Amino acid sequence: MTAAATTRVSRRRFTGAGAPWVPYAFVAPFAILFLVFLVAPIVVAIVNSLYSRQSSGLGFGGSSLEFVGFDNFVRALTDVDFLIGFPRVVIYGLIQVPLMMVISAGLALLFDTALVKAPRFFQFAIFLPYAVPGVIAALLWGFLYQPSVSPILQFFSGLGIDLDLLAPGTVLGAIANINLWSLIGINMIILFAALQGVPREMYEAARIDGAGELRTALQIKLPMIGPAILLTTLSSVIGTLQLFNEPQVLQSITSNISSDFTPNMAIYATSTLGKDPNLASAMAVILGVATLVVSLGLLAANKRTTKRASDGI
Amino acid sequence: MTAKKLIRTPVMRAAAAALVGIVAMGALAACSNSGESGDSTGSEPTEVEFWGWVPGLEDLVDQWNDENPDTQVSFHRMTGDDGQKVEAAVDAGAGPDLVQLSTHALPDYVIAERVVDITEYVSDDESNYTPASWASVSFDGHVFGVPQGIGPAGMMYRTDLFEQYGIEVPKTWDEYLDAARALKAANPDAYIANLSPSEIGQWAQEIQQAESSWYGIKDDAWTLGVNDAGSQLVAERWQTLLDEGLVTTEQMWTPEYWALVNNGSIATISYAAWFPSILAENAADLSGKWAVAPLPTNEGSDNSGDSGGAAVVVLKNSKAPEAAAEFASWLNGSDDTQEALITVGGLFPSTTNGLASPALVEDQEFYGGQPINEVFIDAAEHTPATWVEGPNYSAIQSALLDEFAKVINGDQTFLGALDVAQAAGIADLEARGLTVSE
Repeated sequence: MTAAATTRVSRRRFTGAGAPWVPYAFVAPFAILFLVFLVAPIVVAIVNSLYSRQSSGLGFGGSSLEFVGFDNFVRALTDVDFLIGFPRVVIYGLIQVPLMMVISAGLALLFDTALVKAPRFFQFAIFLPYAVPGVIAALLWGFLYQPSVSPILQFFSGLGIDLDLLAPGTVLGAIANINLWSLIGINMIILFAALQGVPREMYEAARIDGAGELRTALQIKLPMIGPAILLTTLSSVIGTLQLFNEPQVLQSITSNISSDFTPNMAIYATSTLGKDPNLASAMAVILGVATLVVSLGLLAANKRTTKRASDGI
Repeated sequence: MTAKKLIRTPVMRAAAAALVGIVAMGALAACSNSGESGDSTGSEPTEVEFWGWVPGLEDLVDQWNDENPDTQVSFHRMTGDDGQKVEAAVDAGAGPDLVQLSTHALPDYVIAERVVDITEYVSDDESNYTPASWASVSFDGHVFGVPQGIGPAGMMYRTDLFEQYGIEVPKTWDEYLDAARALKAANPDAYIANLSPSEIGQWAQEIQQAESSWYGIKDDAWTLGVNDAGSQLVAERWQTLLDEGLVTTEQMWTPEYWALVNNGSIATISYAAWFPSILAENAADLSGKWAVAPLPTNEGSDNSGDSGGAAVVVLKNSKAPEAAAEFASWLNGSDDTQEALITVGGLFPSTTNGLASPALVEDQEFYGGQPINEVFIDAAEHTPATWVEGPNYSAIQSALLDEFAKVINGDQTFLGALDVAQAAGIADLEARGLTVSE
């Protein structure tokens, strides 16, 4: 084939791919879903949050939707029961997220060494709980938390230790346990996959330099998978702020989880029980902004530390 | 997760419990009603769509369709999750013609204009219904539904425990407290009752017994009485029982709760007429050891209580409100339907002809052969008609439930809980622009 022919062929292909609508056609499915299921609900929620359904007298004369400006936001931000959900999930997150990341990363590093026999089986076993839907997981653990039906608690009771995992002080830990059980597997898989991508030569270099397994793990492997750690941490933090399924299910077996235990539960209760979708919209916007701020803060903090690290080198 | 919220209304719970055993029957009925409609000669029949949860409604709908070729009813069985579906459907301009509803939820439907005023179609029925049940569907002189079942209260108790320890079955709440102390003294592992912080129905029935009401109407304004004298009386009673350690405090309906019932820790359960069948199902080994007595009374009164009932209402988007109302009137009030509603449906009737039905007073094997509904009939006759349904029942309910949990943990008192719920209720009504009179 001559050089001229090659040019012609490639130019033809290039013009076809360069038709202005082609990239848009590929992006369209995502764009449509994004607009319909993400942007539109956000816009609707923001608009809804500015209105309120008002009646008068006894209310039997009907009701009207009225523009109330930021009244709903004022109501939400002065509602102690709603606000208290935020520090509650923050405390929860401060315990649950680091614990989960340390265990996940530890397991990933362990599987990355040659120390574990039958690694595929164990990886599968640890990952398996992730396949159990959150609601079902909460139901299952709910049984294990009730003394007269739980073999585990009965075992401890036989030893003279009476555990109450659903008391006001322990119920948050009981929820954290369910999420740890569910999510360690998926985080471990993500981190393990990232570890597999680290060039093996680096380990050899480290070994030649005299680094042991532990030192390699802490000073080479972990920094190399920084982006994966950031990703899993970020999604865990967002998941924490939006905590809903597990406490909502456990609510049916303990009264120590109130209807506004987490911000997301408060939004749900306001819209369904309180029958005030406008107020609930305002709360949802507040939660959305809070999540955004925390995520951006985490990303900014990460950027600063990586910059400092690279400056140091 | 939604189920729990919905299931807090006793009627829904009774329905859900009964539903389990009736699924097969429903399936059979669904098979049998195909191929009968649509072959009438002349004009098209009026079509009415009905959503409800009472077991056995399929058969009654079939019976109506056979007898009334001009009005053909189609039935959809509701599950626990359909409650919010109805509101959403109506607000979106759809939904069935008729729906079964807890009477506690009705004021919200009226205020949101989701229901049709059916006064002109059903006003002749009034004399057939108990005054309290008719009051629960009437607002401002307008009728918005036909009552379907009520929840008069009684006290289920362990005959064997009371006999074993030589304790008299209490007739008044004062005697109840004495019995509680005597029981605890005789056996530290036995408790007079379980005080479930999540069970608002048990609270409500004693509020009614004390002739109090969460809501009232004064001139053109709502009044709230969540912390009025009657509620305070009930609060002090249970505070004493709690403080002296005479009650267990498990959340009702959990495996843990049924374990307590089955191992003999709980001597009495006070609840509505639909509860005995659920107890018999969940404590089958205790057959013959339970009986039903009237709810203990307050000093100087022979009142009983009621935790709320259900109604069938015509929804806003109905194209045939008159035909729908006619069917509802037949279904809930006619002589044809009472026996089936009682025996298959497990309803406690809100009608005079239902209360007179022999089916109501059959002997119950689990309760030692006692015709237990005699107690509940008497309770229905002694329920004061002072309870007023009002807007956003669930706002007060969830405020109370969240506070009651703190009471059980010792971080709050019942009296304090009432004040919190009262304030929450007033704030909620005012936020909706309703007039509230202090």
